[in-house]
Amino acid sequence: MTTTLTPSPGAATTPTPNSRRRSIPVWLPAVAGAVALAGAVGLPWLVNGYVISLAATGLVMAVLAMSAQVLVGLAGLPPLGQAAYLAVGAYTAATIATVTSLGPIQLLAATAGGAVAAAVTGLLAVRARGTTFLMVTFGLGELVHAAANAWAPGGSEGVHTPPVIALPGLPAMVRPGWVYLYVLACTLLIGVAVALLVRSRFALLLRGIAAHEPRVQATGHHPGRLLLAAYVLAGGIAGAAGALSIAVTRYVSPADAAMGISALALAAALIGSGSMTGACAGAILLVAARDWAGGLLAGHGTTLLGLCFLLLAYLPRHRLADLTCRFPWRRP
Amino acid sequence: MGLDGLVNAYTITALDGVAHGLLLFVIAAGLTLIVGVAGVFSMAHGTLYLAGAYLAWHLADGGFTGLTLALAAAVAVGALGGAGLAAAVRPLTDRPLDQVLATLGVAYIAADQFSTVFGAEPRSVDPPQAVAGSVSLGAFQYPVYRLGFIAVAAVLAVALFWLVERSRTGAVVRAVVADAGMAAAIGLRTGIVRTGVLVGGGVLAVTAGVLGAPVIGPAPGADTTILVYSLIVCVVGGLGSIRGALLAALGVGQTLTLGVALAPGAAAFVLAAAMLAALTLRQRTTLPGRPA
Repeated sequence: MTTTLTPSPGAATTPTPNSRRRSIPVWLPAVAGAVALAGAVGLPWLVNGYVISLAATGLVMAVLAMSAQVLVGLAGLPPLGQAAYLAVGAYTAATIATVTSLGPIQLLAATAGGAVAAAVTGLLAVRARGTTFLMVTFGLGELVHAAANAWAPGGSEGVHTPPVIALPGLPAMVRPGWVYLYVLACTLLIGVAVALLVRSRFALLLRGIAAHEPRVQATGHHPGRLLLAAYVLAGGIAGAAGALSIAVTRYVSPADAAMGISALALAAALIGSGSMTGACAGAILLVAARDWAGGLLAGHGTTLLGLCFLLLAYLPRHRLADLTCRFPWRRP
Repeated sequence: MGLDGLVNAYTITALDGVAHGLLLFVIAAGLTLIVGVAGVFSMAHGTLYLAGAYLAWHLADGGFTGLTLALAAAVAVGALGGAGLAAAVRPLTDRPLDQVLATLGVAYIAADQFSTVFGAEPRSVDPPQAVAGSVSLGAFQYPVYRLGFIAVAAVLAVALFWLVERSRTGAVVRAVVADAGMAAAIGLRTGIVRTGVLVGGGVLAVTAGVLGAPVIGPAPGADTTILVYSLIVCVVGGLGSIRGALLAALGVGQTLTLGVALAPGAAAFVLAAAMLAALTLRQRTTLPGRPA
């Protein structure tokens, strides 16, 4: 039998109306994903410890960016206080760490902690829309920051935690390479969960609220409850990021709830313009700009981050977002 | 009895609260008008205060000359900063998130430059020597500068209140807050009003920085603190409302001083509860039929 490398003229695929725009081949994203995954797994054998710990920080911020993307990308509500739930998760994990060093348990507890904190504060936040939502979440985040300074164990000095154990029976992870691989595995796990969430009916309803809230309400849904659920989910994801941050730095302080972290997560989500993969890439890019390139520029990472924000504001992001929507695997 | 019965540790703290509240009002009045009129949530508003505070520290010479110089410089810096922000957000009209990102970028760059130029440690600013002492109120000593500050800030607040609520200029500004489209349709030049409010807000914030430097001093991070409190004032008082901002600022000032003295640690929760109450009530009154 002969393999047909070139399709016969009769079977030539006629472009469907949907794919009349120039689009990239279907196999490309899969290959790109596989290459990226192989590169990410092989990273500890390729670069030095400093870059690995930066990469682990980038992954933590990627999880936080996904949490911000659930709100801004799906529900159309820009949050500027997600770092508060990261800090709540990190403190929860630090408290659990006094009992057990088992990473997965800390992760679950931190997720629950972040979700509970988001459920309480979300009652306030989901009453606002648009810029007011941004202002309210910003205010809430800073109040959590202030409360952590006043009340959290360790005060403004923060708390040190023992190294995390990935699975029962394994030794505690001290070397940055192993910590990085643990964080990578957890990030992938969270990514899969978020990917399922994005493809759910619930996500469609959230997109509906972002597009036209009264119509969703007219179909018999409760936008307030749906948004609160989204807020709680986002808080849970941010809490999980907190547990991972403990695994990386073995330290938590009120500075983890600072506005800069929230702003970085929101900016990363905006770079991703609706896509979770884009949000993760944006977070890693911004962490690289702040910590890696900033380190090269004598510690002026903050200025570099500010320039990134300005660039992001003035670039025609919406046209770029249009471009990604033309990729064949993304449903409109 | 009389004055002595009135003066105790709590009334002294409450007086501090008035100073904080009036300072917050002068800063937040600009922000609330900027949000209300121009629709710009300026993340660089705290940066302007910090710029004023560093100006006061840099030009302080122990006399009134330094203070006067700093105030003159503050007006120039505030006007330039406000005009710069107006120019920066002009291409981003109707893209509020991008406006936030742009002003946040400016705030980041400025914060980094401040800590490079002025150092990373907090600076304390001494008031002019003539008003550096303290007066005795009953059994307590109270700084003269702070009393003077309360008087000056009260005058500023009254002037601002009159300008916005009673004058013709203020009527134009309030018209743009209420309905920008209608204001433009009857011939008001909303673009100029927007720029003017950004410039005015900038001048107010930098001036407040110079005057308030001995109260809330220049330090890295002070810009965020000021931004958060003025933001809470804006949310609680209602965007674009001077009257609401005055009441909210005085309330926040008392919460941050008297509240902390009475119930340490509860201030954050009181402020969050105030925001919740304001949002809930306002949603009921202005947006009937909106789902909760």
